[in-house]
Amino acid sequence: MEVQKEAQRIMTLSVWKMYHSRMQRGGLRLHRSLQLSLVMRSARELYLSAKVEALEPEVSLPPACPSDLRLHPPREVESTVETATADGEQPSPEPMDTQEAPTAEEIPAYSAPRPAKVSRKRRSSSLRDGGDAGLVPSKKARLEEKEEEEGLSSEVADRLQPPPAQAEGAFPNLARVLQRRFSGLLNCSPAAPPTAPPACEAKPACRPADSMLNVLVRTVVAF
Amino acid sequence: MKCFSRYLPYIFRPANTILSSSCHTEADIISTVEFNHTGELLATGDKGGRVVIFQREQESKNQIHRRGEYNVYSTFQSHEPEFDYLKSLEIEEKINKIRWLPQQNAAYFLLSTNDKTVKLWKVSERDKRPEGYNLKDEEGRLRDPATITTLRVPVLRPMDLMVEATPRRVFANAHTYHINSISVNSDYETYMSADDLRINLWNFEITNQSFNIVDIKPANMEELTEVITAAEFHPHHCNTFVYSSSKGTIRLCDMRASALCDRHTKFFEEPEDPSNRSFFSEIISSISDVKFSHSGRYIMTRDYLTVKVWDLNMENRPIETYQVHDYLRSKLCSLYENDCIFDKFECVWNGSDSVIMTGSYNNFFRMFDRNTKRDVTLEASRENSKPRAILKPRKVCVGGKRRKDEISVDSLDFSKKILHTAWHPSENIIAVAATNNLYIFQDKVN
Repeated sequence: MEVQKEAQRIMTLSVWKMYHSRMQRGGLRLHRSLQLSLVMRSARELYLSAKVEALEPEVSLPPACPSDLRLHPPREVESTVETATADGEQPSPEPMDTQEAPTAEEIPAYSAPRPAKVSRKRRSSSLRDGGDAGLVPSKKARLEEKEEEEGLSSEVADRLQPPPAQAEGAFPNLARVLQRRFSGLLNCSPAAPPTAPPACEAKPACRPADSMLNVLVRTVVAF
Repeated sequence: MKCFSRYLPYIFRPANTILSSSCHTEADIISTVEFNHTGELLATGDKGGRVVIFQREQESKNQIHRRGEYNVYSTFQSHEPEFDYLKSLEIEEKINKIRWLPQQNAAYFLLSTNDKTVKLWKVSERDKRPEGYNLKDEEGRLRDPATITTLRVPVLRPMDLMVEATPRRVFANAHTYHINSISVNSDYETYMSADDLRINLWNFEITNQSFNIVDIKPANMEELTEVITAAEFHPHHCNTFVYSSSKGTIRLCDMRASALCDRHTKFFEEPEDPSNRSFFSEIISSISDVKFSHSGRYIMTRDYLTVKVWDLNMENRPIETYQVHDYLRSKLCSLYENDCIFDKFECVWNGSDSVIMTGSYNNFFRMFDRNTKRDVTLEASRENSKPRAILKPRKVCVGGKRRKDEISVDSLDFSKKILHTAWHPSENIIAVAATNNLYIFQDKVN
């Protein structure tokens, strides 16, 4: 539980730092963003493994050390998440210090989701290669954020994907990966929930994880 | 008190030159320090885009026992804040690096860079001025030709020494990401500039184009796993350079092998110690600085907690590892919260490659003698520095009973950090930048 809380705190802190770094003079620092995303990924994996441990105590996993937050092998996490149920312990309310950013103009390249519909607007060549999109404010920020939320919700019903390779890049589609991790915990039916925030419409069995998902949805929006 | 003169070949006495202002702004924070090749000049760059050059005064016959002090020689604004309208990005004027060119005539040349633009500056002295023009008067105003009845030859008359800095070349628009390193090649005709994903090779005479020699940008940015953190040319082999990465690896490349040096010639990486694996392992393993030894045989790297010396002939592990402040290993979470874990410390060799130096927190800096394996922690502070006194070694108490002169880990001031240091190329003179203060220490004169 301690480990879980600490991992959540680190995740929230990392997202806040990422958001804040975009406001700094000189623009987004690629190295800093990479490091923050690595920490966030580690925290996410730790959170999941700690959650799985709490839900399935009989599964033998190396115990998490709260003091130094050691990592757990993600493969073991994945195998147990599939059998996890969502009626685990009620996660405590999380501090909502991530801010929704409806005015966010930039979306870093590493979190830019593949748009559901191809944009008809012509973009500059620097955006076309995909690498510098994060450094250019996108005029379609709001539309894409909305698409992110829709994409997030539509993926809730997806069955768990096989665990990504260890060499997965540090900038996976944030929404996609977060959703992939939590879809098993939510234990939702194949019918896709409506596009509204899932917390409102999910079945009672999903309730315990909703608050965490809410936080993560908000962090993605803030991104 | 322990006498460190036995363990290190010299002991330092406090600064005879300290430059600071009582109330400083963020623009005054020193961001780079560099001696020139003779050690006569010391250049500093700050966050405000200014470059201040100090010159060592000539030793006078009257004061034989007093080594030359460093006094301000020239100050100029190297970079100004800019705005990239296309990307809606502000470009900081902070000077990231300064590198001197070897002196080839009376003038001095240096490269200074901010995040996007490298500039070549010429610093020259003027101590004579021409007088006696025919067509102009002494104030420079044109004379009425009707009043000119005689011709005279202008003569050069002495004037007060004036040091002027002029930008001779501007190398711009070649970097999409933030420049972290520049390095002058040993051929003195080319230099390289490195950003997070690319390294470009320039010729000093050509500003409108450069060669891209390293490009680690993935086709899909979502697959990015590491960035370039530092790069440097070999001191003698003009075809060889190294660059370090955020994953703690160093790649040595040979430009003769191919035009694009994406394939390294040598790859230096130390296997991670599983017992040290922690939540922030990836961050603290990122290399913040890489330096060739003067001999060219070794490279030194600095990550967050250690300094490592590598032999170019052995790639699988460093030959020496020095713990700079291992007591911070248990504090990484707090250091992540206050952003200190992202600090980029530099490291330097002394002239003979026998001692290495790097900075730490609380205005501490550390020296490691490679031969005797002794190390010392010193502090750069005005309170502890009295003229002619000897710098007292400091010690951090990691636990248990704290002795009188020790400082506990929890008492360290993490806002006082020494990121930039420099060592005179041939003498035991060091320059230490502590926020907005510059300390220059010399070894004890017997």
